[in-house]
Amino acid sequence: MRFREIFRYELGYRLRAPSTWIYFGLMYLGPLVMVQFSSTENDRVVNAPVHYAASVSILGFFALVITAGIFSDAATRDADTRMQALFSTTPITKLDYLGGRFAASYLVNAVLFAGMPLMVALSMTFPWLSHFNWAPFRVMAFVQPYVLMTLPNLFIGAAVIFTIAALTKNSLATYLGGLGLGILYLIVINQGLGNDTLENLIDPFGIGPLQKVTSYWPPSEQTTRLIGFPGVVVLNRALWMGLAVALLVFLYSRFSFSHPGVGARRRSVQMPGEEGDERLSHAIASVPRARREFGARTRVAQLMKVARHALLDIVRNRVFLVMVLGTVVLASMVGWEVGAIVFDTATWPVTHLIAGSLHGFLISTVMIVVISLVAGELIWKERDVGAGDITAAAPVPDWIPLIGRFLALIAVLLTLQALYTVSGIALQAIQGYYRFELGLYVRMMFGLQLIDYIILAALAMAAHVVVNHKNLGHVVVIGTYLFTLVAGSFFRIRHNLLVFNGDPGWTYSDLNGFGPFMWPFLWFKSYWAAWAILLTVVATVFWVRSTEGGWRARVRLARLRLDGAASRAAVVAALLIVTTGGFVFYNTNVVNEYRSLEEGTARRVEYERRYKRYEHVPQPTVVANNLRVELYPARPAADISGGFQLVNATSRPIDSIHVTINPDVDVRALSFDRVNRLVLDDSTLHQRVYVLDRPLQPADTMRMTFEVVFQPRGFTNAGQPTDVVSNGTYFDRDWLPGFGYRPTRELPNDRERERYGLPPKAEPPSPKDTTLAARGALMDGGSSYVQTDVTIGTDEDQIAITPGLLVREWREGGRRYFRYVTDKPVLHSVPVLSARYEVRGDAWKGIPLRIYYHPTHTFNLDRMVSSMKASLDYYSAAFGPYPYRELRVVEFPRYASFARANPYTITFSEGSAFITRIEGDDVDRTFFVVAHETAHQWWGNLVRGARMKGGALVSETLAQYSAMMVMEKTYGPDMVRRFYGFEMERYLRGRGQFASREAPMSEVESQSHLYYHKGAVVMYTLREMIGEAQVNLALRRFLEAHDDSRPPYATSLDLLKELRAVTPDSLQYLMTDLFDTVTLWDVKTDSATAEQTESGDWRVTVTVTAKKVRADSVGKETEVPMSDLVDIGVFAAPKQGKGLDEAIYLQKHWVRSGQQTITVTVPGDPARVPARAGIDPRHKLIERETGAATLPIVRRAEAGRTP
Amino acid sequence: MQLEIRNVSKTYPNGVRALNDVSLTIPRGMYGLLGPNGAGKSTLMRTIATLQEPDSGSIQLGELDVLTQKDRVRETLGYLPQEFGVYPRETAERLLDHFATLEGITDKRQRRETVDALLQQTNLWNVRKEKLGTFSGGMRQRFGVAIALLGHPKLIIVDEPTAGLDPAERVRFLNLLSALGENSIIILSTHIVEDVSELCTRMAIINGGEILLEAEPLRAIEDVRGRVWRKLVPKESVVAVEQEMPVISTKMLAGRTYVNVYSETQPGDGFEPVDPDLKDVYFSAMGGHHRSATNGSTQPAVVQ
Repeated sequence: MRFREIFRYELGYRLRAPSTWIYFGLMYLGPLVMVQFSSTENDRVVNAPVHYAASVSILGFFALVITAGIFSDAATRDADTRMQALFSTTPITKLDYLGGRFAASYLVNAVLFAGMPLMVALSMTFPWLSHFNWAPFRVMAFVQPYVLMTLPNLFIGAAVIFTIAALTKNSLATYLGGLGLGILYLIVINQGLGNDTLENLIDPFGIGPLQKVTSYWPPSEQTTRLIGFPGVVVLNRALWMGLAVALLVFLYSRFSFSHPGVGARRRSVQMPGEEGDERLSHAIASVPRARREFGARTRVAQLMKVARHALLDIVRNRVFLVMVLGTVVLASMVGWEVGAIVFDTATWPVTHLIAGSLHGFLISTVMIVVISLVAGELIWKERDVGAGDITAAAPVPDWIPLIGRFLALIAVLLTLQALYTVSGIALQAIQGYYRFELGLYVRMMFGLQLIDYIILAALAMAAHVVVNHKNLGHVVVIGTYLFTLVAGSFFRIRHNLLVFNGDPGWTYSDLNGFGPFMWPFLWFKSYWAAWAILLTVVATVFWVRSTEGGWRARVRLARLRLDGAASRAAVVAALLIVTTGGFVFYNTNVVNEYRSLEEGTARRVEYERRYKRYEHVPQPTVVANNLRVELYPARPAADISGGFQLVNATSRPIDSIHVTINPDVDVRALSFDRVNRLVLDDSTLHQRVYVLDRPLQPADTMRMTFEVVFQPRGFTNAGQPTDVVSNGTYFDRDWLPGFGYRPTRELPNDRERERYGLPPKAEPPSPKDTTLAARGALMDGGSSYVQTDVTIGTDEDQIAITPGLLVREWREGGRRYFRYVTDKPVLHSVPVLSARYEVRGDAWKGIPLRIYYHPTHTFNLDRMVSSMKASLDYYSAAFGPYPYRELRVVEFPRYASFARANPYTITFSEGSAFITRIEGDDVDRTFFVVAHETAHQWWGNLVRGARMKGGALVSETLAQYSAMMVMEKTYGPDMVRRFYGFEMERYLRGRGQFASREAPMSEVESQSHLYYHKGAVVMYTLREMIGEAQVNLALRRFLEAHDDSRPPYATSLDLLKELRAVTPDSLQYLMTDLFDTVTLWDVKTDSATAEQTESGDWRVTVTVTAKKVRADSVGKETEVPMSDLVDIGVFAAPKQGKGLDEAIYLQKHWVRSGQQTITVTVPGDPARVPARAGIDPRHKLIERETGAATLPIVRRAEAGRTP
Repeated sequence: MQLEIRNVSKTYPNGVRALNDVSLTIPRGMYGLLGPNGAGKSTLMRTIATLQEPDSGSIQLGELDVLTQKDRVRETLGYLPQEFGVYPRETAERLLDHFATLEGITDKRQRRETVDALLQQTNLWNVRKEKLGTFSGGMRQRFGVAIALLGHPKLIIVDEPTAGLDPAERVRFLNLLSALGENSIIILSTHIVEDVSELCTRMAIINGGEILLEAEPLRAIEDVRGRVWRKLVPKESVVAVEQEMPVISTKMLAGRTYVNVYSETQPGDGFEPVDPDLKDVYFSAMGGHHRSATNGSTQPAVVQ
C-alpha cells in the first residue's frame, strides 16, 4: 500500500517535472533524427540486428547522464529540501521508500529508453526512407536488445547511481560513480585487457562481449541474424545484475532517514560563546573603519578569492581524491600498451605516443564528463549550501563569480593534466624507457590538449549557467560532445568552423615534430576561443544572482546587464569570431578548395561520365624516366622536371594522348617531341587530351617533357599535406602526369552509383580470362617497368633517397644532390624520401645493406639487419638470386602507417617496425615485417601479377609465406605456429567485419584479411601437407616462367597451376578447398580412451565428428562430403604445467563426414604417458568455432596387465 | 540619507501578486517591517537588496537608484537573508575573510582587523577556527550578521532574523543588532511583533503585498488607545461575538477566551478598555480597521 503510494507519487512528481519531458523529447526525437541521417554507404543495412543492438547499447551509455539525473534526484531530493526527516516520523519503511522511488524512476527510464526501438521501427514505415537498405521488420530484433541490453544496463547504472546518491548525498560522487561504470566499458571497447574472459566480465554494459560474439559471424549473418541471447552476454548480464542487486541490498542495510549526509556529521560538543555575552554590546566602537575600494586591484583580489575558494571547495571534497586516483589508474590503463599491438607485441612508449594516448578517445570522453561535473558543482555549490543570497548581495560584479569559478575549473584541469603527465612519465620509466622529453609533454599536455579542454570548459560553464538545471546542464554538455563526434560521419557537417571546437587535427612525429599542423590548429582554436569568450559573456549576463527563476525575469535582467562592459566584450568576441573565422575560411575555402563529400562524389561521377568512353583508347607506356626533383623542405615546396620515354606497347596506332594531371600540383610545362594539338584542357577534372599529327605506331617511341610544381598555400579544413615537410619528406609518383582513364577514380559503391544513374561498377577481370586485353595491365595509369634516372636536391643536412643505385652525390649552392639510376627496369614508382637520417650500414654477400633512421629510433636496427640477411639467404636459395645491387630500409614520418617495398628500397612508417618493442619470446614483428617486405623484392617487384582478381595472391600471400619460412628458420616452428594462430584469428574476425563478398583466394580482391591473413593460413597448411621443398619448387618455376616486364602478366591461376603440379593426386582436393573455394571445417573430439596392451603399449581410441562446408560469397554455408587428411594426436602431460603438450603421436588420418572412431597405438613409456588425445590439435583446419580439439584421456580397465 | 520606495509592484509568473504599489520612506535607524508569513516582506527585502526586479516602481537610496545602480548599492549594503547556509567545511574566520575581500577590503592587515573585530563583536571569536557545519542556529545567525556588517554598510537588511531562535538567542541577537546599527538604515522584517516594539523607532505593517500602516510604534500605540476593548467569554460564544463585532484577536486564558475588539466607542456589556500594545496595533491593522491615511504619512487614520 505505502509502497504503491510512494511509487505513484514519485511517478507523478517525475511527470510534472519539465526536465522529464525534455528527456522524453531527446530520447524519442533523437533516434528519429539519427535514422534520417543514417548512412547508406557500403550498402549498410540500417537495422541489421547486430548493428542495431550495438547502437542501442552505445546510445544507452551516453544516455546514462539522463539516468543519473533522474535517480540522483530521486535519492537526494528529500535531503536537499530537508524533508527527509518528515519521513522518519511516518510509518513508511525503508523498503517502501527506497523501493517506491527506485521502481518509479526505473519505470520512467524504461519508457524513455524505449524511444530508440520504437522510433527506429517507426522509421521503417516512412516512404521517404524506402531507399535505405532495410532488413525485414522483426519484432524480436527490437525486443531482444531491449531485454538483453537496455533494461539490465538501466538497472545496473541506476543501482550504482541511486546507492551512491542515497548514501553520500554528494552529487559529484554520484556522477563519478556513473562515470566509473562508463570507464570500465570504454576500457574494454577501446583498450582491451588482453584477456577475453576478463573483458567479458568487467564490461558493465555487456557491449564488449556482444561485439566479440558477433564479430565472427559471416556477412550474411551480420545483416540478418538476430542477436539472440548469447551465453557469454547472458553471463555478463547475470553477473552485473547480481552486483547491482547486492548494491541495492547494501543500500537498504545502510540507509537511514536521519542520515545526515556527508560533511554534516554534527559534533555535539558544547560550543563556547553560547553563554555570557554581556560584553559584546560595548565593543561596537572598536570595529575599525577599514578602507574599501572598488578599483581594478580589488577586482583582481575578488577574482582570485572566488577562484581559490571554489577550487578549495572542490579539492576538499572527498570525491576529489577519487578523481585523482581514477586519473592515475586511467592513465596507467591507456598508457600501458601504446601504439599498434600486433601479434601481442607492444611498442616502445615514446613520449608522443604516451601523451597522445592520454588525449585519446577514452580519456577525452572521461575529461569532458569530468569538466561538466566539476563545472556543475562549481556553479551550484553556493546555492546548494544556501549561501547564494549573501554572496549575491556582495559588491561584486557579475563576471567575477563566473570567471573566478572558470579559473578554478582550469586549475582542476591543470592538476589532472599534471597527474596524467606524471603517470605517463612513471609508465615510461617502469617500462624501461627513459627519454622523457619533458618539453614535449608540456606542449602536448599543457598546450594543445589544455586548449581543447579550456574551450570545452567554457561551454560547460555557460551551459550550466544558462540552462540553470543541474542535470540538463550535463545533458547539454555531453550532447554537444556527442554531436561533435558524429557531426561529420552522421550529419555530414564536416567544416570545422561549424562543429564546436572543431579543428583539422594534428599528428606528432618524432621526425617532424608538429610539422605543418601547429598553425592551422591554433587558428581554428583561436576561432573557437573567441566563441568561448562570447559564451562566457552570455553566461555573465545570464548569471543567476537571485533564486528567482523564470525565463522572463532572467531575460529582462540579462538585457539590463548587457550594457557597457558586457556589450563591449560581446562585440569584441564577435569581432574576433568574424576575423579569425574569416581568416580560416579564407584559407580553407578561398586559397584552398573546400569540397563537401557530395561535391567530391559529383566530381567522380562527372569524371566517369565524360571520360569512361576513352577507357580503351590505346595509350603509350612509360619505359624510361629522367627526373630532377628539387625539394624545399622548409617552405615546403617541390619542383619536379624531366621527361618520360614513351612507347606504344599496343598493337594499334596511338593518335591522341590522354594526360591526367594531379590536382595538387601546378603544371609549368608539358610538351612532346612530336607535333601535337591540345584539344581538351579540363581544368576541373584535370584532364588534357593532345592529338598527335602523326600517330605513334606500335613499338614506336616518343618523349614527353614536363615540369610540375607542388606548393601548398595556406591551410585546409581537413589536415595539411605532409608530402614535403621540413624533416621526413615522402611522396610517390602521383604528382607525375599519368596516361589514360583511371577506373580507380570511379565511384565504388553500387547503391550510390545507382542514385547517380551509373551502371554497377565493373569488376576487375577474372584470372580465368586469358585474353591479352585482360592480362595486359600491370598498374594504374599506363605504367609498367621503367628505367629510371632521378636526381634529387634537398637541404644540405638531409639525405634524399629513391630506388636505384646512388651514382653521384654532391653539394651545390648550399644544397645537397643525389643521383640515383636503376641498373635494370623497375616497377614504375618514384618514391622520394628526404630527412636528416642516421645511417646504419652492413652487407650481405657483397650487397650493401643500409638502414636510414631517425637518430632516436635505434631499438630494432639489429633485428632489421639480421632479418634482411636471413631473408636474402633464404629467398635467394629458394626462389632465385636477389634482383638488385643494394637493399635499403628507410623510415618516414607516421603520417601514413604502412610499409612498402619498392625496388632496392623498403619504406617503413616510424610508428611500426622501428619502435616495436620485442621482449622475451614475443613474436619478432620487426623481423617478420622486414622479411615480408624483403620478399616483395621477388613477389611484387620481379613478378607483379596482372591487374586482375587474384593478383594479391601473387604478391602479398607469397610474401607472407616467404616471411613465415624465414621466421621458422630463425626462430623455430613453435614461433611460426603461434604466428599462424594469430593469422587464423585475424582472418576469421575479418570475415565478420567485411560486409562485402568473400572471394576464394584465387580471385581475391582488395580484402586484406584474405590476402594477408587467410593467405598465411592456407600457404602454411599447404606447406604442412606437401612439404617446403615442393612448395618452393613450384614458386621457383612460377618465377622463372613469368618475367613481368612485358604482357601478358602473371595471374593467380598461373601460380596455382604450378602448385597443383607439385601436389600429389591424393591431396588435390586440398588445393580446391584452400584456393578455389571458401571452405570451412568443423571437427571435434567426442571421446578419447586408452588401454594398455600386454606389451605395455597404449591403445588410444578417439571418436571424432567431422564436417566440411563451402561458403558462398555472403557466407551462406552448404555442406559438402569430406574425406580429408586430418591430424590425429596423442599427447603426454606438459612437463612444467605450461607450454605446448608434448606429442607422443601426431599423424594424418583420412577423416570423413560424420562420426568415426580412430585407434592408434603408441609405445608405453613411463615418462610419456598419454594424457590427451584428439583431432586437429594444432588447429590447421579453418574452423569458425573451435570445438574441443583434444580431450583428456579416460583410461579403460587395464586389461591383461600383470602386476 | 534615506531609502525611498515609490510605487513598487511585483507579480510572480504564477500570478501571485507579491507587492502592490508599495511606497515607503525609511530613514536612518532601525525600521521594522511587520507582517504575517507570505505578506510580501521577503520580496520587498530582496528587491531592496538588489536580488530581484520589481515590475514597476522605483527605489532610491540617497543619490543611488537601487534598480539600475546595483553595484553601487551593493557597496553600501549589508544583507542577512531569511534563510541562508554556509559552506559546512569552511571555518568562520576563513569564510568571513573571504567575504571581506568581496566587500572590497583588500588590504590584508585591515581585513584581518575587521574580521577579528567582527568575530569578537558577534561573540564568535572563540569558535573562529571551528567549521561552520558545527554551528548552532544562533551562532550561524550571528555569523550572518558579521557578514552583513562587513564594510560599515549604510543600508542593512535583515530578513526574519529571529525565526527559529530560542528566546535567549533572540534577545542576544536583537541586542547585537540594535547596538551595531546606530548609524545606518536597518530594515528588520519579522512576523514577531515584539521584535519591532523592542527595537524599532519606525515601522510598517504589510499584508497581501500592501502597506497597511506606516508609523512610529509608540505613536501608533497611542493612536489605538481607547479603541481596543476586551472581554472574557466562554469558548463557545467566540463565534457569536465574531459575527457581531470587529474582533481583531482572541487569546485563551484558563479555558475561556479573551476577545479583543476594535471600536471607537464602548462596544457593549462586559467590555473593558485595553491598555494597548503594538500587538493591538498590528491586529487592528491586519483586521483592516486601522491604517495610514497616505503612505509615508505618520498620521494614523481610522477607517469605518
